[in-house]
Amino acid sequence: MNATRILAVALLTAAVTVPALPAAANEDDVIREGSCTGRADWKVKASPEDGRIEVEGEIDSNRNGQTWRWRLVHNGSVSDRGTRTTRGASGSFEVRRVVVNLRGTDKLVFRARNAASGETCRGVVNF
Amino acid sequence: MWSTSDVSALRSPVVLFLATGLLALAVIVVGTSELSAQAAADEAVWDARETTELLAHSVAEPAIPRGLVDGDAGAIDRFDRQVLDQLLVTDVDRVKIWDAEGRIVYSDETALIGQGFPLGAQEREVLAAGHTEAEVSDLDRPENQYERDSGGLLEVYTRIESPEGEPLLFEVYYSAATIDIRQDQVFAQFRPITLGALGLVVLVATGLLFALTRRLRRSAEERERLLTAAAQASDAERVRIARDLHDGVVQDLAGAAFAVSAVARNPELPASMREGLRSSARSLRTSLRGLRSLMVEIYPPELDADGLDAALDDLLAPAATRGVTATATVEGIDGVPDDTVALVWRVAQEAVRNALRHSGAENLTVTVAGTPGGVVLEVTDDGRGFDPTRRPEGHHFGLRGLNSLIAEAGGDLVVRSSPGAGTTIRLQVAEGVR
Repeated sequence: MNATRILAVALLTAAVTVPALPAAANEDDVIREGSCTGRADWKVKASPEDGRIEVEGEIDSNRNGQTWRWRLVHNGSVSDRGTRTTRGASGSFEVRRVVVNLRGTDKLVFRARNAASGETCRGVVNF
Repeated sequence: MWSTSDVSALRSPVVLFLATGLLALAVIVVGTSELSAQAAADEAVWDARETTELLAHSVAEPAIPRGLVDGDAGAIDRFDRQVLDQLLVTDVDRVKIWDAEGRIVYSDETALIGQGFPLGAQEREVLAAGHTEAEVSDLDRPENQYERDSGGLLEVYTRIESPEGEPLLFEVYYSAATIDIRQDQVFAQFRPITLGALGLVVLVATGLLFALTRRLRRSAEERERLLTAAAQASDAERVRIARDLHDGVVQDLAGAAFAVSAVARNPELPASMREGLRSSARSLRTSLRGLRSLMVEIYPPELDADGLDAALDDLLAPAATRGVTATATVEGIDGVPDDTVALVWRVAQEAVRNALRHSGAENLTVTVAGTPGGVVLEVTDDGRGFDPTRRPEGHHFGLRGLNSLIAEAGGDLVVRSSPGAGTTIRLQVAEGVR
């Protein structure tokens, strides 16, 4: 294995195992992605919207029909919560909510727990 | 100075009535508009109060979650998602919810949430008493920093309570444009009544004016007809009197004067008797001249362009006996129609008569001249004059009586005079008067 291949493998490994890496998006968007405690992956995106913040939380488990309980926490307080089921070939679901952009930095936490397996996901965005 | 063609319009009762009517209409329109605008503004404010109370107690208050007053972000989010669209109805520009310390716990303008501003006396009173108030927003206040480009706002506030029992001030801002629209809506209700009533008044007034004008015109025509008939009758009578004088008394006097003069030359008579007869003959000739002047005054014998000069001389003959130096000049009126000459003569006759009777003048001048604009007559005296703006008492009434004839001939009569400065009467008339 030459040095180039070693570097490529290292970068690929880092991309898979290190959570909360910023992804490419609009200039004002903040996107975080990471892996849950099991096989699923999570992604959280926060975008400005007319004095508010649009938050999109996504869980991708690659398995259709899984039930997940989710909650969106804003500055430590539950902004919304619910239950969703993964759909489609990708076995994923997405939640979109608009929250108020308060003074200072807004900390937004998207949490999801697989009701059957107990696998949990936690994505954090500071906006 | 007055002229036959001006002041009369201002004194017309129709013009005065119309001017007064239009003024009254203008006052009604302005007054109604003002009242309607005020009523509309009151109506708009009342609507805003009603809307605010409805939004406060039916939309916002039931939806306030616990924790909102403490600045709980999740509670703010839930409240915002639930009520924002319901609060921002068409005419609402801004919503703010304050706590008793002057902190904004919620607003659709999220930058205001969490900021504190001192509450005004009225706002504190509403928080304490619970009623509803409305006032024009002071856009210079810092809490209104995001509304400064709105062009004027009406703010209405009332009290609500949080689930924790804390009193909150619910405040809604309405744009001034909304009030204007409401004013238009209210005025639209009055408009058919107002304009309909005014239109009816104008319609009725127009009918009355039309009837009045027609009646006045007929009356004027009747008066003109009577005046013409009277003038013609007077002319006929004057002709008859003049003819009778000429054929009767004048001939007799002339014959008597001739006979007495002939007898006075008889040498057989005593000298004293001849002198008495010569004196009688002179007296008869004086009387004869007086009678001829009177005949000329009654009716001039030769009313054509060629005879006007002599007729004016005869007209001025009595001036000498009154100690007035009088001259008459006629130039450039060859070929002027007889009717024009007759009109010039009548005006000159009336003006000279007035001057001799009333002016106390020492000099009197009568000039008649043909000009490119027609025939111009000027009768000028250096007497005491008078104020032409005052209606004359007796004198010059005859001139006014000729106005209709002058107007009919397309002429213009101007009287220039002032107290102590004499009088000039000027008639200009086109040559082609029939």
